[in-house]
Amino acid sequence: MDKKLFQAMHKLFNPRSVAVVGATDSPDRVGYNILESVLYGGFKGKIFPVHPRLDTLQGLKVYPTLEDVPEPVDVALVAVNQFATVETIAQCGRLGIKAAICLAGGYRETGADGLRLEEQLISLAREHGIALVGPNTLGLINTGADFYSTFYPLRLPKGRVSMLSQSGGLGLTIMHKAADEGLGINKWVGVGNRSTLEISDYLEYLAQDEETDVIGIFLEGTEQARNLVQAAARIAKNKPVVIYKAGRLAATEYAALTHTGTASGSYQMYRDILMNQFGVLMVDSVAELVAACKALSVSTLPAGGGLGIVTHTAGPSIALLDSATHQGISVPPLQQETINKIKDVLGQNPPVVLKNPLDTVGVGFAADMYSRVVNAVLEDPGIDLLVAIYCLHKNWRFPSSELVAAQQRSGKPVLAYYVSTWEGCRDERQILQQAGVPLYISPDEAAGAVSALVHYSNMRGREKHAE
Amino acid sequence: MPSKIITAARQSGRDVLFEDESKSLLAAAGIPVVESHIATTEQEAVESAERIGYPTVLKVRSAVYSHKSDTGGVHLNLTGPEAVRQAFLAITNRARQEDPHACVTVQRMAKQGLEVIIGATVDPQFGPVIMFGLGGVLTEILADHCFRLIPINQSEASAMVRSLRGSQLLQGYRNMPPADLGALESILTRVSDLMQNYPEIMELDLNPVTVYPDGALALDARVRLKN
Repeated sequence: MDKKLFQAMHKLFNPRSVAVVGATDSPDRVGYNILESVLYGGFKGKIFPVHPRLDTLQGLKVYPTLEDVPEPVDVALVAVNQFATVETIAQCGRLGIKAAICLAGGYRETGADGLRLEEQLISLAREHGIALVGPNTLGLINTGADFYSTFYPLRLPKGRVSMLSQSGGLGLTIMHKAADEGLGINKWVGVGNRSTLEISDYLEYLAQDEETDVIGIFLEGTEQARNLVQAAARIAKNKPVVIYKAGRLAATEYAALTHTGTASGSYQMYRDILMNQFGVLMVDSVAELVAACKALSVSTLPAGGGLGIVTHTAGPSIALLDSATHQGISVPPLQQETINKIKDVLGQNPPVVLKNPLDTVGVGFAADMYSRVVNAVLEDPGIDLLVAIYCLHKNWRFPSSELVAAQQRSGKPVLAYYVSTWEGCRDERQILQQAGVPLYISPDEAAGAVSALVHYSNMRGREKHAE
Repeated sequence: MPSKIITAARQSGRDVLFEDESKSLLAAAGIPVVESHIATTEQEAVESAERIGYPTVLKVRSAVYSHKSDTGGVHLNLTGPEAVRQAFLAITNRARQEDPHACVTVQRMAKQGLEVIIGATVDPQFGPVIMFGLGGVLTEILADHCFRLIPINQSEASAMVRSLRGSQLLQGYRNMPPADLGALESILTRVSDLMQNYPEIMELDLNPVTVYPDGALALDARVRLKN
């Protein structure tokens, strides 16, 4: 990405000052909420609300027009209607404001008139070199700069995963799910109509962004798919990218391809090309997207695809295996030496078959005993990563500190799958995830996490091999 | 050579190449095809059939019918001159009501093998992409096919061939011998090269390609140009 665009986007995410055009005193309006969002998020820079008649808003001095703002503005937050937005961007151009976030809809998504209006917006942005987010978007967030420019006032846990979303509502779903999972977010962008900044532009920016370790994308479809694929493929070699593509419809594209030649944005094309040809991880739900991003952000990558499972209840391990059958994940048999070590812990004739997944049923509830089994399995040379399953219990504590120790001791990724509500293991989550052990409470999400880690481990392996 | 075929079609105002033109274009790119010979009269049809040998296939050749078999335009497994004559008349009597220039192509009936489909198109979102799938009725229902961005190399072609759910059918199953996967991979990379070298091609459809334990053959082909 060229340096000029990178710098413009850097300013977009890290402004020293913002103007809020269309700020109002009515909590029903977008213009009120975007100002509150900036304040509530704890923005440290200067804030200049703009409204033709009001004097103060939420304790801030209000300026009648953008021209009246006495200091340089890094980013204009534009919360007026689609027509006034075009005028505001023209104003930004005259005033030398180089970045703008345009919330209003009413452009190409509404038809020919809207498209013409959007073309005006695009040509103004191009003419004046303005980095323009949207229009028709929720806005963007950079928790690293405490900058929240959506009209949904929020505070998110900070972290090193950044998200791009082609839908505001689904982007919010991802944010809330991430918060529920204890997954910190660094940047979040609702890309809107992508008039001047395409998904691949944001992706290129995040690739170079030192605060972002993992990139998650919700995609509906883009005419720039080729650019997106090429960017994502290149970036994913160094920084994991996870894509959730909507529109998993019936396979109608073959008919379209061979009979009309107007193959539409086909789900299968995205999946085959992104994942199978270029190795970018694709998932099929918000839950999987967040689970994968959490694993890739919290854990290290395994050296291979050999999965060990330790449980004290069979069902969850079977469900986990059901979900984890792709990505070349294997559940290798344990070596005799490992079995011997486990017998030393569980007794010479335990009431279970000693195999992988290892079920310690009836004898391995105690955290100490459970963790000795975990250590034995992790020592097995065929095992590259391990999922530890443990059920919430009134009298038996979760083996969290033991799992952290086991991971540190072995240097292999350990994931916890606790059979529990989030309420039941909130403190455990904090302890585990801070120490590099991602925690899940469903078999599908734990399996998605394993898949994500093995996928990117395989990809790194292939890259090394190719070198 | 492909440029000449493309230019000729353009000059006669067509975006869709005739089967014989499409096959000549593919053959020039090194893709094995069952040759199609044009016949405008009964006598020419019989002469062609005698030359290439029986059993023979006759297909309608007309700019009006882009889907030949939908309109009774394909007669398979013709075993002698009389059958060829009858097929010629049946096809042309019907087709010439719509298109006075309609004629037929004559080709050898290929021997049975496993049918696959190879195609390429310029997708509005991805640009040039290539498709590989299993052919035949059953797989139409199962829609077992995969896509790749063009260009592809030999190892990507190999991954495509092996990625289908039904790829076991190609690799030898029960008493079926393994198909010549190398021949399929070679067609795939050559189609990819064609799309790269001739950007005026919008869509390319090899359906079916029959693959044998030794070699593969495109039995039918259609090339559409950008308009």
